[in-house]
Amino acid sequence: MNLPDYNFISVPLWLLSSLHILTLTLHFAAMNFVFGGIVVILLGRINDRWNNPAVQKLIKLFPTAMAATVTLGVAPLLFVQMVFPKQIYSASIVSGWFWLAIFGVAMLAYYFLYGAAFTKKLGRQALYLILAFVGLVYISFIYSATFALTENPGLIKMLYAAGQSGLIINPDVGSYLFRWIHMILGAITVGAFFVGWIGRDNEEVLKAGKVFYLWGMVSAMVLGFVYLFTFGDFMLPFMRSPGIWWMTASLILSLGSLYFFFKQKFLFSGTMLFVSLLGMIATRHYARLVHLADYYRPEELTVKPEWGVFFIFLVSFLVMLAVIWYMLHLFFKRPAK
Amino acid sequence: MNYPFWDIEIGYGLLMASIAIIHVFVSHFAIGGGLYLVVAEWMAVKKNDSQMLDYLQRMTKFFVLVTVVFGALTGVGIWFIIGLLNPAATEALIHHFVWAWAIEWTYFGIEIAAAILYFYGWKRMSSRDHQTIGWIYFGAAWMSLFVINGIVTFMLTPGEWLLTGVFWDGFFNPTFWSSLVLRTGVCVMLAGLFAQVVASRYGPSDFKGRIVRYNSGWALAGLAIVVPAFIWYISQIPSDITDTAREMMRLPMNSIGVSYWYAAAIGILLVIFGFLIPRRMNLLFASVMMLFGLAWFGSYEWFRESVRKPYVIQGYMYGNATEVANEEKYREEGYLPQMGYRTGDDGADLFRRACRSCHTIDGYHPLKPAYNGTETEFIAGTIRGAHVIKGNMPPFMGIEAEIQKLAEYIYVRMDSRSIAEIHSLYGKELGQKVYDLRCGKCHEFGGFNDKAESLVGLEDEDYHDLLDMAGDLAEEMPPFTGDTAEREALIEYLRSIPEGGN
Ligand code: HEC
Ligand code: HEC
Repeated sequence: MNLPDYNFISVPLWLLSSLHILTLTLHFAAMNFVFGGIVVILLGRINDRWNNPAVQKLIKLFPTAMAATVTLGVAPLLFVQMVFPKQIYSASIVSGWFWLAIFGVAMLAYYFLYGAAFTKKLGRQALYLILAFVGLVYISFIYSATFALTENPGLIKMLYAAGQSGLIINPDVGSYLFRWIHMILGAITVGAFFVGWIGRDNEEVLKAGKVFYLWGMVSAMVLGFVYLFTFGDFMLPFMRSPGIWWMTASLILSLGSLYFFFKQKFLFSGTMLFVSLLGMIATRHYARLVHLADYYRPEELTVKPEWGVFFIFLVSFLVMLAVIWYMLHLFFKRPAK
Repeated sequence: MNYPFWDIEIGYGLLMASIAIIHVFVSHFAIGGGLYLVVAEWMAVKKNDSQMLDYLQRMTKFFVLVTVVFGALTGVGIWFIIGLLNPAATEALIHHFVWAWAIEWTYFGIEIAAAILYFYGWKRMSSRDHQTIGWIYFGAAWMSLFVINGIVTFMLTPGEWLLTGVFWDGFFNPTFWSSLVLRTGVCVMLAGLFAQVVASRYGPSDFKGRIVRYNSGWALAGLAIVVPAFIWYISQIPSDITDTAREMMRLPMNSIGVSYWYAAAIGILLVIFGFLIPRRMNLLFASVMMLFGLAWFGSYEWFRESVRKPYVIQGYMYGNATEVANEEKYREEGYLPQMGYRTGDDGADLFRRACRSCHTIDGYHPLKPAYNGTETEFIAGTIRGAHVIKGNMPPFMGIEAEIQKLAEYIYVRMDSRSIAEIHSLYGKELGQKVYDLRCGKCHEFGGFNDKAESLVGLEDEDYHDLLDMAGDLAEEMPPFTGDTAEREALIEYLRSIPEGGN
């Protein structure tokens, strides 16, 4: 009997990759707001921070941003698994327990954020935020380690032969340490943008946002370059891939965003930052392709389009945007009574 | 076999169930609860019932914290766990149904946004706008059930899809509609039962009487949908699946009967405490009812998962991720060459791929009790006949050399003393044990693949002949490899059985 084969993708690869990159950027934006926001609130120079109304406003927004982070994280995980199932499942099985713990830790972090937002004792907020932050650091580390491992199928085989119980974390720390720190610094930068923007009417908070935006960006760039130099043999192919163009464009855009941020032109700055983030994610995407090129080329996947269902998805996606916009409109409009 | 195998001591079934059960409970509650809240709000606003509105606001906080966080993240947890436990099945499902999942995700997005706005909107929004958000929430939540239902039902009844591979054939499969109605009923029922727990915390008052009655109405309405929908659902499962299940595994099929008792218990409790003495409703009774409700739903989910055995996707992929489409390749080349990840220990690798997703040596569904005191040859025989053992297992489709390797791997981990010594038995009792271990896996007296007709009332000599030829009776039947003492005891046992078995 000829059973339906599952080795195919149901829209062209470019479309799938674009959806992956777009939704992942949205996911990062929401996550970075929480992650970087906590850092700025805890470490920024803000007098009597827990009684600062702008700080409280941010803390009240965190649970919602976390909800957005989780929701927006589902889609890119789905799309990336379409293209790289073999790599992702294999790498995550090697670290099975650590990987599985992610969702539990995310749940705890979420409740800590609610704890910080709802508690009446302001002194507790610091503790809740720190706990949530530790959870997010864990998640980011495991993601970096595991996704770095997906790019090294030979290593996965070796690690699996050495242990099958899912208690191994990618030991090739050099391949992802800088990548991870770069991402953390990037997250703080993006978070600082949100802090400055949302707290723009509060001088201290705006200033803290500016400080972290500037220094976060500078150090993220430095670490980004350090990470690039760990590419070794992959450097040359990467320089020849579209990744390098995305990277250059992103760098320029982020500097532009910095300029407009200090001028307090948040719309310009935010748009540039978003596109720059998207560019960075596209850069990562090309870096992955370059690393995997000897093992796997997604462009060789069979394409068997299912436009009908895809179209329904597209419509649903637009409906989602429209409905959420409509609901926000209802929520923020002045009550009739 | 393109993947590493996550070899953990905890049984796969248990790990999966511990996340999935919580998730299905919470996610169905999230749908029914949304409807409950908005309908109740609508009525309360119409009657200007501030006490009721206050109660609803309280419930919303609990509702949002449970559904938005717990429901959403356990849903993500299921994603993670299926990727670890059965990556091949996950890959297959994702590739065929990616757009269904993507569509579901858009409804999920609306659902989460609506839940949060509904929660924060109690104070600041006009009641009309607030209710609009409530209705949007329910609509989106139910639509996400609609979509996921297509994929979940597909796994048991892929129907025409197996021939056509067309998305819609798989999605609108034979059990799609009945399952959708059934699950919708479950949502309504759980909403009423959960709300009862919240209501039970109020001291006795007219108000309490009122909401308890109201909640009971919900739960009963849900139950009234659930029971007929369940009967409909069972009738839509192709009879070859239920027939095999009935023959190979009595437990899940019997659980259908048990589930009617749960339903009756909930119904009776609801009528008594909900309508006759509503003010007496307390946390204990409310919790008991809820537990019955969850037990009913849990047994339904368990039934669905069980009758699907030995498949993870009916007719397409087995529970141990071997693929029906690759059968020929397995039979020719064996399993080992197909494995993308090997450890150097072929026996262990074969065990993981063929058996380990459902059995452990000594823990969850252990093999030790089944094989202690037996020989490599016997174990090999049962591997050859795995698909005719009761319990509905996938066939072993590898080559003969692999069967030997696997049997040896298992054998050295078993107790190698004789069956008599292990169990300190002799005579007829030993014979019965020998029968259980060496024959009972495939032939139960008065039950599964009963061979009483050929086994009862023979002469000693015939028994000896039969045991000598055992390996030739059927390809899937192992030879008799017990020692003389076991042989004598088995014959003594068989002779003691009256004509007609048992
Ligand atoms: C898809 C799941 C699954 C796989 C894979 C599987 N089994 Fe089973 N097996 C079961 C179930 C379910 C039962 C019946 C319940 C029980 O007794 O544990 C069973 C029962 C058995 C029994 C009979 C136990 C008894 O005495 O009643 C033996 C022996 C057995 N399996 C061996 C194996 C071997 C060897 C393999 C690998 C070649 C294997 N099974 C693969 C699910 C599976
Ligand atoms: C791994 C499964 C398995 C085990 C263990 C097993 N059998 Fe069988 N047996 C079969 C199969 C398969 C057949 C042939 C198909 C059928 O009738 O179900 C069969 C057929 C038979 C028959 C029928 C012959 C006939 O023509 O009516 C008898 C008698 C029998 N088995 C006795 C035994 C006895 C006694 C034992 C234990 C020593 C035993 N079997 C162990 C699978 C098994």
